[in-house]
Amino acid sequence: MLFWENTLCSMFEKYQKESFFDEMFAGEDHHVFPHYEILLERFGRLDETEVTEKQRRVNTGFLEQGITFTVYGDDRGTERIFPFDLIPRIIPDAEWQTIEQGLTQRILALNLFLNDIYHEGRIIKEGVVPEDVVKTAAHYRPEMLGVNVPNDIYIHICGTDLIRDDKGKYLVLEDNGRCPSGVSYLLENREAMKRAFPRMYRGYGVRPIDHYPELLLKTLQHASPRPGQSPVCVLLTPGVYNSAYFEHTFLARRMGIEIVEGRDLIVLDGFVYMRTTKGLVQVDVIYRRLDDDFLDPLVFREDSMLGVPGIMEAYLRGNVALANAVGTGVADDKVTYAYVPDMIRFYLDQEPILENVPTYLAWREDDQKYILENLSKLVVKAANESGGYGMLMGPTSTSAEREEFAAKIKDNPRNFIAQPVISLSRHPTICEDHAIEGRHIDLRPFILYGENIEIIPGGLTRVALRKGSLVVNSSQGGGSKDTWVLYR
Amino acid sequence: MLSRVAHSLYWLSRYLERAENLARLVDVSRYDALDTSNEDNEETWRPILYATSTEDTYREAREKEDGDLDIVSFITFSDANPDSIRQCIAHARENARMVRDQISEEMWLELNSIHLFMQSGEAEDLWRRQPEAFYRELIKFCLLFEGLIDATILHDEGWQFIQVGKFLERSDKTSRILDMLTYVNEPERSQLASALRSCSGFSAFRDEFRGDVTLQNVMAFLLFSQSFPRSVRFCLRELDQVLHAISGTPAGAFSNEAERITGSILAQLNFSSIDNVWSVGLHRYIDELQKQLNLIGQEVFETYVLLPSEIKNLPRLESWQMQWQQSQQQQ
Repeated sequence: MLFWENTLCSMFEKYQKESFFDEMFAGEDHHVFPHYEILLERFGRLDETEVTEKQRRVNTGFLEQGITFTVYGDDRGTERIFPFDLIPRIIPDAEWQTIEQGLTQRILALNLFLNDIYHEGRIIKEGVVPEDVVKTAAHYRPEMLGVNVPNDIYIHICGTDLIRDDKGKYLVLEDNGRCPSGVSYLLENREAMKRAFPRMYRGYGVRPIDHYPELLLKTLQHASPRPGQSPVCVLLTPGVYNSAYFEHTFLARRMGIEIVEGRDLIVLDGFVYMRTTKGLVQVDVIYRRLDDDFLDPLVFREDSMLGVPGIMEAYLRGNVALANAVGTGVADDKVTYAYVPDMIRFYLDQEPILENVPTYLAWREDDQKYILENLSKLVVKAANESGGYGMLMGPTSTSAEREEFAAKIKDNPRNFIAQPVISLSRHPTICEDHAIEGRHIDLRPFILYGENIEIIPGGLTRVALRKGSLVVNSSQGGGSKDTWVLYR
Repeated sequence: MLSRVAHSLYWLSRYLERAENLARLVDVSRYDALDTSNEDNEETWRPILYATSTEDTYREAREKEDGDLDIVSFITFSDANPDSIRQCIAHARENARMVRDQISEEMWLELNSIHLFMQSGEAEDLWRRQPEAFYRELIKFCLLFEGLIDATILHDEGWQFIQVGKFLERSDKTSRILDMLTYVNEPERSQLASALRSCSGFSAFRDEFRGDVTLQNVMAFLLFSQSFPRSVRFCLRELDQVLHAISGTPAGAFSNEAERITGSILAQLNFSSIDNVWSVGLHRYIDELQKQLNLIGQEVFETYVLLPSEIKNLPRLESWQMQWQQSQQQQ
C-alpha cells in the first residue's frame, strides 16, 4: 500500500467510497483497483487550480463548438453543454469482453424476436411471451406484419443501458432500439480527454473509438435495397430544434452523408428522392432519427410536419431501407424487456450472459399486489417512457406521489413495471466545490448490427451529478465521462 | 447539393451582409449625430428606419415600451426588430447550425462566438461604454467571416450560393443608402459624405471623382462604378457571373428567371448614365431596382429550392411551401 499512501494527495484525500460499489476503490482498506493506479497517481499530482483550468478549457471548447443539447420546456430554446467530468471511467479488457459477448447475444435475440412477432409469432404460439404483451405495446406496428426487411435486421443501431449493482455485477437496465442518442458525446468526450491529458491517455493503452462513424456508414450501406451500386444514405433529422440536433449533424458530417429534414425528401411513384439544386436524387437508406409516429403523416400521426408523406409506402415496397426499422419500439417496451432473457433462451438456446434487473410486471396479479405493497422500496416506471420521465423513485417519494402512482398502476397495469432500487456503482467525480466525491454512473454502449455485429469499446458513461441521485439522464441533471476500455 | 442547404447558405450570407451594413450605417450616423446641434434624436435616426424598412416595427415596439425606445438600441439589439443586428446574427447562426457539415470549423467557431457575445450582457455593456469600439468589433467580425468564406471552404456550389446571398443583399443595401438621400430635399455635403462612408466608399470615391462630392457624382459612383465592390453595378455583375456558374449556362444566355432579370438589370446599368436616373427620378428609379432585386431572390428560391416543375402533383404541396417560406423572412 506504499504507492497509495505516497500519492494520496489533496484531490483524493477526503474521498469516501461509503457502502457503495466503487469503480476505483475496493474493500475495507480502500485500496485502488490496479487499472486505476496511473490515474490516481496523475490526479494526485494535480491541484485544484489546474483541475479548474482544465475543466474550464474543456467546457469552453464544448460551448464554442456548439456541442450542446436543447432543454425542452424552455421557451428560449436554451442550449446547454452536457456537463463533462474529467475523471475517466476505466474498464479492463477482460471485463469488457464479457459485456461485449452479452450485448451481442442480446441484439441477436432482440432482432430474432422482432422478425418473429412480425411474421410467424413462434414465441407467442409456444407461450414464451404472451400475445397481449406484444400487441398492446405502444410501439407495436401492425403495418409491419409480413413485411420482410433487408437481411432480417430490425435494430441496426442499439444503445443498451448497463448498470452495476452493489456487488459490481453488470445488469441490463434497458434497451434503446428506436433512436438511441449520445454517441456524439462519447466521441467528443474522447477528443476532450486526449487534449486534456495527452500523456496519461497514451500511457494507458486505451482502445480507440473514433472509427464509429465508418462502422455506422457500413452498417447503413449493408441495408441498401440496391446492392452492388454505391448506395445513397442520408440521415433524417427532426430538425434544428431537436435536442439531439448536434449529434445528427456531427454523425452526418463524419460519415460524409447528407443530413436531411422531412421537407428535403419527397416520394414519387413509391421511391424516395431528395431535392437538390440539380434536381431529384434517389435515396436508398435513411438513418432516421425520427420516431415512427412522425415518419409519415399519411400512415402515422397526421399532424406531423417532420416526416415525409408516402415514405411508408416506399418502405413497405422495399424501395428504401430505414434504420432502425419501423416497429422496433416493441423491444423498448419495459414489459417486453422483462422477457429478453427468455428470448435469449428461446432463440439462441443460451443462458443470458448479462442479467436483467429483476422486474415486476403490474399486469400480473401477484406482481401488482407486491408492487402496491412495496411502493416505497421500488422504482416504478412507465413501460414506454424514457429520459427519466414517468418514473417513481420509491425511497425518496412522498406519500402523495405514491398514491398517485398506485392509482395509475391500478388504472393501467399494462403500462407499469417496478424494479428494486439498485444501488448503482459510484465513480469518483469532480463536484461543484472541486472536491472529488462518489457519484452514481451507468453505461450506454452502442451496438451496430450490419454485416457483422460491432460494438465500439466502452460507451457513454453517464453520471448523476446531484449528490445521492440515481438518475443519470441529461434532462435530469446528468453529466458524462469518457470511458476507457484498455487493451489489457 | 441539397436545396435546403443552398437555401440556408444563401440566408446565412444575406443575414451577415445585412448585419455588416447595419453596423456601418449606425456607426456613421452615430458619428454624424455628434456634429449636429439637433437635440431631436428621432430626426437624426428616422432616415435609418426608413432605409431599413423598420418604421412600422419601430412604432409598434415603442408603443409597447410606453413611448420610450432608443432607436439605436432598437436597430442594434431589439428582439422586437426581426432585422436588428443581434437578430441578424442569430438568424445567420441558426442557418449555419443547419448546415454545419457544409461550412468550415473556423466559420462556425467565429459565428458562434459572436452570437454568444451578442446574446451576453457584455455586448450591451461595451455598446454603452464605447459604441465606436462595439461597432468596429462587429464590422471586423463580418469582414473576418467574409475572409473565412473565401479562404476555408471549397469554392463550389455552396460557396456560389453564399455569393448570391451576399451580392443580392449588398446591392439592396447600397440602393437603400442612396434612397436615404431622397428622404431630404437637398442633401447637404455632409449627408452625401455619410452615404459614401456608410458604404465604406469615401476614399474609393475620392480616387474616382477627385473629391467632388455632389449628389450627381455620389449617385453615379454608388450605382454605376465599374470597380467599387459595393456599387450596384459591381454587385449585379458578380451576381450574374455566379448565377451562371451555378447553372452552367454560358454568359449572355439564361436558363431561368433569376438569370434573365439579373442580366437585364446589369445591361441597363452597364449602358445607362445618370441622366436616365434623373429622367425617372432617383426615388422611383431605386424603388423599381429594389423590386427587381426582390424578384431575383424569389426566382432563385423557385429555381433551386421549390423545383415546381418536378413536384407539381405532390400531396400537401401547399403546406410544404408555407413551411419553407416561413422558415426565412425576406425584407
